[in-house]
Amino acid sequence: MAHDRYLNSIQEAVDGTLGSIRRAELEMHLLECEECRALYEDLQRIHDAAADLPAMPAPDRTWLQVAGRLRQEGRIREVAPPRAVRKPVNWTWLAAAAALVIAVGGSLLLVRRSPPPPVPAPVPAAAQTASAPQPAGNAAAVKSVESVQNEVDAAQQQFEKAIAKMDDLRKANMNALDAGTSATIEKNLGIIDQAIAENRAAVKSEPASVAARATLFEALRQKVSLLQDTIALINEMRKGNNAAAAQLVNKS
Amino acid sequence: MDPPGTAREAELALVERCRRGELGAFEELYRAHAGRLYGLACRMLGNTADAEDLLQEIFLSAHRKLDTFRGDSALGTWLYRLGMNQILDHVRSRAGRAGQLTDGLEDASTLPDASGHRLADRAIDRIDLERALAELPEGCRAAFLLHDVEGLEHREVSEVLGIAEGTSKSQVHKARLRLRGLLGRHGA
Repeated sequence: MAHDRYLNSIQEAVDGTLGSIRRAELEMHLLECEECRALYEDLQRIHDAAADLPAMPAPDRTWLQVAGRLRQEGRIREVAPPRAVRKPVNWTWLAAAAALVIAVGGSLLLVRRSPPPPVPAPVPAAAQTASAPQPAGNAAAVKSVESVQNEVDAAQQQFEKAIAKMDDLRKANMNALDAGTSATIEKNLGIIDQAIAENRAAVKSEPASVAARATLFEALRQKVSLLQDTIALINEMRKGNNAAAAQLVNKS
Repeated sequence: MDPPGTAREAELALVERCRRGELGAFEELYRAHAGRLYGLACRMLGNTADAEDLLQEIFLSAHRKLDTFRGDSALGTWLYRLGMNQILDHVRSRAGRAGQLTDGLEDASTLPDASGHRLADRAIDRIDLERALAELPEGCRAAFLLHDVEGLEHREVSEVLGIAEGTSKSQVHKARLRLRGLLGRHGA
């Protein structure tokens, strides 16, 4: 049996807190006492094995649920995506961009105007009718759920289509912005794209999750908003309208 | 766990953004700390489903209580304390429902005799260790997980669990001896 007198020293040695004098004394003892040496070695191995236990990453869906609950409880302030850095640049006109922003923005407004609180996802007309009284029976309910699902999918596709158009436009005109501003915008778009990819994976794994869907729509909306602002900025720069561009950059 | 000056300032700035309701800031906070809290919850509760539910509650509770964070301790320590309180409450209510007696955090009772259960020479198997951990009483399991697995110092463990530093030491030491006995008996 290990010697009680050395038990604390052994544990403190494993903790890494044993002072040098007591450590020297313990080491002398361990040379002579097989039991205490075995105890020290075992406890050290347990400590090391515990420190090597693998991390357990929290599932992404937990964050989606937390975010959904925070929104439901009204504890989140919706924040506009990060703005481009203000930089003096050359400004010229881009009329086509403005026209397309209005066209695409208008269609998005149709999608965005009817979200029922607290879920900020765009819910089209068919989704709203789902909350109205339905015919009795499971078949009707299933049909209603499927119908809502289809409408939500369609809304998502609309978002993605609009994003693709706006992104093409942005890419074709980024030369109107200086390198620093472009880099900031690219970086912010990258962050949003990553969020979209993660949220899309979450929706795929839990298609029925309202929170997952809401968070995906939120990420898509952020991308639309950033693209709209970027195109508007390009537009003002091409017009040579410094004051309007600065106002755009500073608006929050 | 105590971050240096600039890191502390960054933590306070992050907390301030969370208080203002910025979801992105709270997600940053979540991503930085959720993994460790989830691991702790899994190993304290013994199953991932309860751990996920509890992790959600811990972060919702953290968001509600951010106003009480003054920066006296590191944000990680504050979250560990908040999380561990909820985990232990959960464990105790579950044990209470099952009519089981559990040891208290201040319990530093006599160390069990782990002699005669020497470990085999081969490396300790991770699954054996996880299984043995699950058999520890919750008080010493919590202290052991925080100290030996998460790498907190006894001072920090005492802060998280609200116990004396000496109690943290005795709980961790007791856990190691019990683990030696359990692993030796299982032939690890």
